[in-house]
Amino acid sequence: MKEVIEDMKKRIFLRITKRLQAVVPMFAVVAVAAVMILAAGADSASARVYIDINSPGLKRLPIAVVDFAGIAEGTELADIVRSDLDFTGLFAFINKSAYIESAGAPFSPENWRPLGIDAVVKGTAEAAADGTLSIVVSVYDVVESSNILKKKYSSRKDLIRPLAHRIADDIYEALTGQKPYFSSRIAFIGQDGDRKSIYLMDYDGQRAKKIVSRGDITMKPRWSPDSRKLYYSSLRGTRWGIYELDLDAATESKQYSSGATDLVGDITQDGTYMLFSSSGKGSPDIYRLHLGTKILTRITHSDNIEVSPSASPDGKLMVYVSDKSTVPQLYIMNMEGADSRRLTFEGSYNTTPEWSRAGDLIVFTGIVGGRFQVYTIKPNGSELRQLTDTGTNEEPSFSPDGRFITFTSDRDGAKGVYIMTVNGDGQKRISPRNIRAFGPSWSH
Amino acid sequence: MKYLMLLVMLLALVVSGCATTDVAVPDDGKKGKDTVKKSDGRDDVIKVDRDKIREGALSEDQIRAQMASLFKDIRFGYNRYDVPEEEKANLRKIADWLLKNSNVSVLIEGHCDERGTNEYNLALGDQRAQSTKNYLVSLGIPANRLETISFGKEKPLCMEHSEECWSKNRRAHFVSSK
Repeated sequence: MKEVIEDMKKRIFLRITKRLQAVVPMFAVVAVAAVMILAAGADSASARVYIDINSPGLKRLPIAVVDFAGIAEGTELADIVRSDLDFTGLFAFINKSAYIESAGAPFSPENWRPLGIDAVVKGTAEAAADGTLSIVVSVYDVVESSNILKKKYSSRKDLIRPLAHRIADDIYEALTGQKPYFSSRIAFIGQDGDRKSIYLMDYDGQRAKKIVSRGDITMKPRWSPDSRKLYYSSLRGTRWGIYELDLDAATESKQYSSGATDLVGDITQDGTYMLFSSSGKGSPDIYRLHLGTKILTRITHSDNIEVSPSASPDGKLMVYVSDKSTVPQLYIMNMEGADSRRLTFEGSYNTTPEWSRAGDLIVFTGIVGGRFQVYTIKPNGSELRQLTDTGTNEEPSFSPDGRFITFTSDRDGAKGVYIMTVNGDGQKRISPRNIRAFGPSWSH
Repeated sequence: MKYLMLLVMLLALVVSGCATTDVAVPDDGKKGKDTVKKSDGRDDVIKVDRDKIREGALSEDQIRAQMASLFKDIRFGYNRYDVPEEEKANLRKIADWLLKNSNVSVLIEGHCDERGTNEYNLALGDQRAQSTKNYLVSLGIPANRLETISFGKEKPLCMEHSEECWSKNRRAHFVSSK
């Protein structure tokens, strides 16, 4: 998809966002910034500033997304953009039939103030003779009567969904100052018949497709920080190995195989190291492989099982699973294997940890009443929370911003990939019904 | 692939012969032939030719038949990977047979029941296979004749959600890899 652009962010907005980011915890900034930007200059601004998006009393930003003018695809594009923004839980929508201003008419704040709308998204869509779509999107601030964003896009007609996600990404970033994620994808393991294959789908469950079908068994994949590569353990013949799939080049290469059981855990955020476990020396221990130099470093040296390492965002620590207490529990240690401390004490089976890329939270699978459930815990061991309780729920993975979690559940019968907020709200299945799906991993 | 086919064939033997066969392999060198009755008391008898074993001339079918009866699964406790005491006699028999059939190599598969997460179960299955291997090595079997592989909970023997089934799935399983 090509795009050409002029990006018109207001200085005042940038100033406010920066100041907020410096002082407000990450999660709070999203909502505060979203509201602040548009409330700037308004008398009632102070009533909206102190919002905790994790509280049930969150005030959503009232926004209108008008069906794009021009061709029929304009409506579909606007629908997807609306759906993306709605997913965040940060925006409020009114029924579009209540809109006064038509798609083709120029923006006028007077048409929106009576509806209580603070931000308006408008666009035009054209199709060239070869089917190429050209889109122009504008975002307006009703309160300030100003244009926050104006951007042009062009795309092939059959790529309308990624195009719409791209537009929603830009709107979200312009309004919140946060890294957007509507173009993110979820990799998972799909099973049709006996065969397990790697699938990719958009974060909203659309466009699921099989991408790797080699090997007898393939395990939950992990993403490179640039989301261009996947790493996974796969059984080929009688040998486990860790493989890298380059999504741009569509090539697969073996990264490591000891001849025993090698299980990839994570790629550090700077893309330098692959963390994994290997039983090549007897019992499963944690290793790191420098992906550039291929230098291998063994991190743990024990006769216990040590598996599933996941790095902290700064790359200094990792959370991992060990049975050194006789049952699997989570531990945290540094990259050299020192300063190990036990993280989980509740329950007798805690596995599959993932450290949020956004910071201060770890998600994992525990057991209660003989069933797996998804939990979160702070890296200091506080605030243990059970997020699921229906059926069996496991293998959680954070969204890029840490506000959502994808996981495997069998609550509807066959296993499927689900998502929910980091608080456990809005649990819903997103993977296609016709595939047994599990082991989801959210791109960065 | 070869292992898989063997596995399938072994499974077929196990399944088709469920009511059978306490077949034994000779455990002393004096007799030329050993005969063992089936446990169900029927009269059919399986004969094993010792000389042929010594020459390594046992046919693949014979090896398969003997292994299917002698190489019983080693069963493990929930979340455990230490070889249970009650399985050690079984492993000693297996070691004896392997010492006499030095041309046979074995792939030891580690398996788990469904009550674990995928990745941890692969590690657990790995350790079940390795502790089984280590015990056989301690009985004198060269390590290079014993390969291991973990299938975690990916290839259960028994599909029901019951302890009876789970206990069958928590196993080290032997496959000839001659």
